[in-house]
Amino acid sequence: MSKSTSRHFIPKKTITVLAIILSFVSFMSFASKDATMKKTPNQKSISKDSLESVQAFMKVYDVLMHPRCMNCHPKGDVPLQGDDSHLHTMLPRRGKNGDGIYAMKCKNCHQPENAPGLHTPPGNPKWALPPADMKMVFEGKSPRELALQIMNFNKNGHKNKEKLLEHARDTLVKAGWNMGEGRVAPPLPYDEFVKAWDTWIEKGGYAPKAK
Amino acid sequence: MITLNINTKTYNVDVDPNTPLLWVLRDELDLVGTKYGCGVAQCGACVVHLNGEAVRSCVTKVSRAEGQKVVTIEGLAEKHDHPLQVAWQEVDVPQCGYCQSGQIMAAAVLLRENKNPTDADIDAAMSGNICRCGTYLRIRSAIHAAAELQRKTT
Amino acid sequence: MTEQKTSINRRSFLKSSALAGGGLMLSFTWLSAFKLPGEAGKPDVPNWIEVNGYIKITADNVIKILNPNPEFGQNVMTSLPMIVAEELDADWQKVVVEMGPHDSVKLGPQFTGGSNSVRMYWKPLREAGAAARTMLMQAAADTWKVPAEELTTNAGLIVHPKSMKSGTYGEFAAKAAVIPVPKEIKLKDPVKFKVVRSSQKNVEGLKIVSGKPLFGLDYKQEGMLIAMIVHPPAFGMKLKSFDASEALTMAGIKDVFLQKLYPDGFEQGGFDTRSFNDMLVIVGKSTWQVMQARKKLKAQWEPAGDIKDIIGGRGGKKEVIVPGELESTDAQHKKMQEFASKPAQQLRRDGDPETAFKNAAQIIERTYNAPFLAHNCLEPINFFAHVTAEKALVAGPLQAPGWSEPTLAKLLNLPADKIEIQMTRMGGGFGRRAYGHYLYEAAIISQKLNAPVKLMYTREDDMTYGIYRPMYTAIYRAALDANKNLVAFHVKGGGIPEHPIHANRFPAGAVDNYLAEGWQIPSNITIGAFRAPRSNFNAAAEQSFLDELAEAMGKDPIELRLELLQRAKEKPVGKNNEYDADRYAGILKLVKEKSGWNKAENKKYSRGIAAYFCHNSYAAHVVDLTMKNGQPYVERVFSAVDCGIVVNPDAATNMVQGAVVDGIGNAFYGKLTHKDGAAEQTNFHNYRIIRMNEAPKKVEVHFVQNNIDPTGLGEPPFPPVFGAVANALYRAYGKRLYEQPYGPQIPQQTMPDVKRKPVKSKLILNKRRAQ
Repeated sequence: MSKSTSRHFIPKKTITVLAIILSFVSFMSFASKDATMKKTPNQKSISKDSLESVQAFMKVYDVLMHPRCMNCHPKGDVPLQGDDSHLHTMLPRRGKNGDGIYAMKCKNCHQPENAPGLHTPPGNPKWALPPADMKMVFEGKSPRELALQIMNFNKNGHKNKEKLLEHARDTLVKAGWNMGEGRVAPPLPYDEFVKAWDTWIEKGGYAPKAK
Repeated sequence: MITLNINTKTYNVDVDPNTPLLWVLRDELDLVGTKYGCGVAQCGACVVHLNGEAVRSCVTKVSRAEGQKVVTIEGLAEKHDHPLQVAWQEVDVPQCGYCQSGQIMAAAVLLRENKNPTDADIDAAMSGNICRCGTYLRIRSAIHAAAELQRKTT
Repeated sequence: MTEQKTSINRRSFLKSSALAGGGLMLSFTWLSAFKLPGEAGKPDVPNWIEVNGYIKITADNVIKILNPNPEFGQNVMTSLPMIVAEELDADWQKVVVEMGPHDSVKLGPQFTGGSNSVRMYWKPLREAGAAARTMLMQAAADTWKVPAEELTTNAGLIVHPKSMKSGTYGEFAAKAAVIPVPKEIKLKDPVKFKVVRSSQKNVEGLKIVSGKPLFGLDYKQEGMLIAMIVHPPAFGMKLKSFDASEALTMAGIKDVFLQKLYPDGFEQGGFDTRSFNDMLVIVGKSTWQVMQARKKLKAQWEPAGDIKDIIGGRGGKKEVIVPGELESTDAQHKKMQEFASKPAQQLRRDGDPETAFKNAAQIIERTYNAPFLAHNCLEPINFFAHVTAEKALVAGPLQAPGWSEPTLAKLLNLPADKIEIQMTRMGGGFGRRAYGHYLYEAAIISQKLNAPVKLMYTREDDMTYGIYRPMYTAIYRAALDANKNLVAFHVKGGGIPEHPIHANRFPAGAVDNYLAEGWQIPSNITIGAFRAPRSNFNAAAEQSFLDELAEAMGKDPIELRLELLQRAKEKPVGKNNEYDADRYAGILKLVKEKSGWNKAENKKYSRGIAAYFCHNSYAAHVVDLTMKNGQPYVERVFSAVDCGIVVNPDAATNMVQGAVVDGIGNAFYGKLTHKDGAAEQTNFHNYRIIRMNEAPKKVEVHFVQNNIDPTGLGEPPFPPVFGAVANALYRAYGKRLYEQPYGPQIPQQTMPDVKRKPVKSKLILNKRRAQ
């Protein structure tokens, strides 16, 4: 009865190495076609580099697939919980706007700030899942799939480059590094994550090549 | 001093603004119908309405409720005749009864947003409230009965 | 609480008065006679005439019936007074019900547990009601100067048909009170019951749904302090030192101190339980302040080593050595495997089981395991105490005040008559609140502070310092002859720290060669009664085993049980068989019929059957399992119960439905494990309780109709749920489950379109199973 449904990702190091070795350029729709994208005012002129971009993304990927980030980007309509990413106890649902339904709205438990104590709900004023029409699923995505999704204007919550760069500075994203007592932070310090995120996008927003 | 509006009454309480609303209700205001069950938003015994939403008062700081509209089980209906309270007695839901005020407060939000909930709606709305005695089947029946009462009276 | 001595209860009644008329059975007359606090010199309840310990009737015909027994959700507040009202012939809708005080002289044993409330009070309450009715009729006969035999009663009215005279009970209450209690009383023929056997609503329904202060945790007194105890982080540890300097500076904190619960050499009562004896107590003004400050309390702990306890109680005084080891679940499993292969204590032996096994054509042997379970009453452990030099008032959730009082008197050095125990409605009990240690803790703390105190456990305290259902294991063996007949049965069960075996229960008595054995391993992890103690394991193991046996014998599982019961009835083997084979067979036949056991339309379900006898009653379930979101879901349950006369059918149905839900939840998820003495589950985030979405759509309950005096109901329907669920899971997956809980062995829970990594608990369990 112990059917193994486990989905083990390829060890991250292996992926990174593979991605680098195999990093024939894979152009993103956004990186290649969206010529109209405005540069942020303080953006320095950086030349694109697929190798650097993908290297940076692999760091980003480790963060996005970490429970602190992925748990609210589930494949289904129930958020995940804990370092083992189990289904959120009591099965709250996404709802149309991503903020839950009926008596089970995210903010009923998730306060504007973390609740004190162990095993209490982490908090943020924006606490929610992505909405039903823009689920932005991380769970189960390969590095390539996730990179392509984030760079796709129609799948990333309609974010252009500027908005994407801003997104790493979003307070809800940042909250991933401060989720209350006893919760492990993502594998990269926040500042380094932002740096990797910026590098990935600035260097062209490349996706790792498919195997 | 924090000014609170609870069940349409105004209260001034002198507490640490980080105190959970639950303990202000219970310890300071003698509104003990709101229960402590887990303290970590897992069981639902402490559900009250904050501006109409079914918040868990055990993790809701009293400062969040300041100047907002709070309703507890004691004030759900002035004469305690909310369709859910009537149906709960009619169906004879409770066993020990400890979780029931939280159950009713959660169900009240469901009924406000969905006048005719299905079993699936009820399951989705109510799975945040633990009943250790296992009265879930009757809670389901009572919500259906209350929905019918509500439709008849409105 | 009769006298309404405390402010909180007085308030609650006054609040109720505003609600009355909404269907509650409280009388305005009576309530308006209530005096507010401060109106000195006037009694709370004027003109009560005490007819006897259970019934009070006013001149204006208000009938008040006291419920003698603690209420923890089993509905005794309603069902016990109904029994009185039946024989009294009172108008139930006008009866006032109130929780009785702790008064074992007037109100009997006052113990909630062992599914005994209705059973033990059935006769006394009927007699009380009938005696009152007889005395009232005699008073009327004397007044009207007619023979009492010519009088009848009708719902609180005494009638003399010949003269057309009639009067209320109230009119004759004063006179009846001085009439001697009749020596002989005629009780009603059960077929004539009007109140009993009719479904009546919970008399506290309105109070519950409107949030009235009913529970121990709601209890309050002026100047009351909140106390919490910082328990050691693990069983087997004790306090080494502590530093309260920071905690004491925090707002609202009154005191931090170390206090022994039991003095050295103290003889504990049988149900007191060993506690962590060194109480590190923190006291403050409000709950939150104490919770916060307690985090700043710095405590160092050290291994406690072996501890010697002196336990008194019914078995006489004995010394118990509590081992000091820091126990872990994996090590406990290994130790149990070791013990299971050693010789054990023989509990029953019929025929020659050894030879029968030696000559068997086929031997089937299976091992079943189950973990510790935490009660997790939704109202965490708490108690109020106000102890002074002269007297003590204690109030809170307690199943057995009479068991706790002697120890309390000894600890406080007060005579029992200076101790008042008030029984609040309990937010669940399940056996946990039969153990009075927390009442003593509250009282000792109050005595030390000379102030009213409410001791409160947080959920974490409640879960990690529990009085758990023990950890059990059992090996079941069956010997079949060449024709697949069952010729011998052997059960060998063990546990930490007690074995689960009921040696004289089915199938004992139905098999020629039978052997039951038990062994146990001492532990420092505290255990106690948990809804149907031992039975809640046996019914899982034995009923799974019988299902497997039926399959091996090529028989329908119900038919196999019926054949064995037929044998037990016609030619019972051995002595002291506890069960009645006819009644046992009765529930199986009833559930077979009501569930449409063999009907083709039910084939779409994975069906599991189990039945069990315990607490003098019989219960059987057919569980219908389907798949929901890729997970097994118990969609329907058919239950058949024989508990004799059912006092309040709808409430009894509620109880069985609850037992079924509780059983499903514990069968799938219930598990408490330890690592180095510390409970690994600390709150509901990792101790899973069944939730709404997992509850069946339907639990159809059928009671056997007979006129047998009532037996237990709170516990009997619970144990067989485990077996029925296990058997249904076998039908669904084609694989037998031997380890509780079953949930972690079932393929990973998924929602539609969700594939996830396995959760930790599964890995641990699989690892253990692989050993």
